[in-house]
Amino acid sequence: MDDTTKVIIIPCSGIGKTYGTVSREAAYEVIDVICPQTSTLVPLSKLVLGDEEAKTAIAENRVITIDGCALACATKMVEESGGSVNHQFAVLDAYRRHRQMKPRGISELNEGGLQLAHALATEIAAAVDELQGEENA
Amino acid sequence: MSDYLTFTHDKFTFEIATDRLYNATGVWAKADGDSVTVGVSDFFQQHNGDVAFAEVFEVGTVVQAGDEFANIETIKLDIDLPSPLSGTILAVNEALDLEAEVINHDPYGAGWLAQFAASDWAAAVKTLMTPQQYYEHTKAEAQAEGS
Repeated sequence: MDDTTKVIIIPCSGIGKTYGTVSREAAYEVIDVICPQTSTLVPLSKLVLGDEEAKTAIAENRVITIDGCALACATKMVEESGGSVNHQFAVLDAYRRHRQMKPRGISELNEGGLQLAHALATEIAAAVDELQGEENA
Repeated sequence: MSDYLTFTHDKFTFEIATDRLYNATGVWAKADGDSVTVGVSDFFQQHNGDVAFAEVFEVGTVVQAGDEFANIETIKLDIDLPSPLSGTILAVNEALDLEAEVINHDPYGAGWLAQFAASDWAAAVKTLMTPQQYYEHTKAEAQAEGS
């Protein structure tokens, strides 16, 4: 499957932030493990820099954002870059649903953080499947 | 409607409501008739980040000034909040169970934490900071952390 028909995943770019790390771990699991054929990642930093290829990708494909905090930089940047967000996930909301998975750590997440990333990845993968189903309908 | 003292540090602007008193942690207390409503300041919520969970002790709990009466878990920290006054908890903001983020959105209004029956409000007033004092306190704290 060509990248142009994949669902675009855009996680938080917060470096040194626990919840940002959870968002990226979840994104990597989706694109590398659960939905490698149907999803791909566009780094938020490329949109911030105005990268034309990244802007075209979000304009022409379905987009899922994963925000690390209430600032919602990933979602806002997609919208400011001419794209629209089909599904928005927030790590904090995921944690509220899975309070036993308390994330800690930055470069290396604790067990709770890894579990939360996996739970979030599972939810995102379901959204990818749903979007692909709509695309193929 | 509250008036505010404001200051800007780095890219953040902080508001301090002028119609209530504060302890050093950033818990405000506002008397209204026989009850005193408490919550956290705008500086507290911005400084500590998005609130994931807020748990306040049960209605009927008796606390002394300085004792823990609530716990707030943010994306950065778990914080035990010291009560700004001695008294009995009369009511707890039930909205926090489902929407703890209201503390971030409206710390001086809908994000209130609890209402107390003060055992000695006059004594509490003497131990709390005025808005101007809290303004100086937070400004110094922000500058110290930013330097």
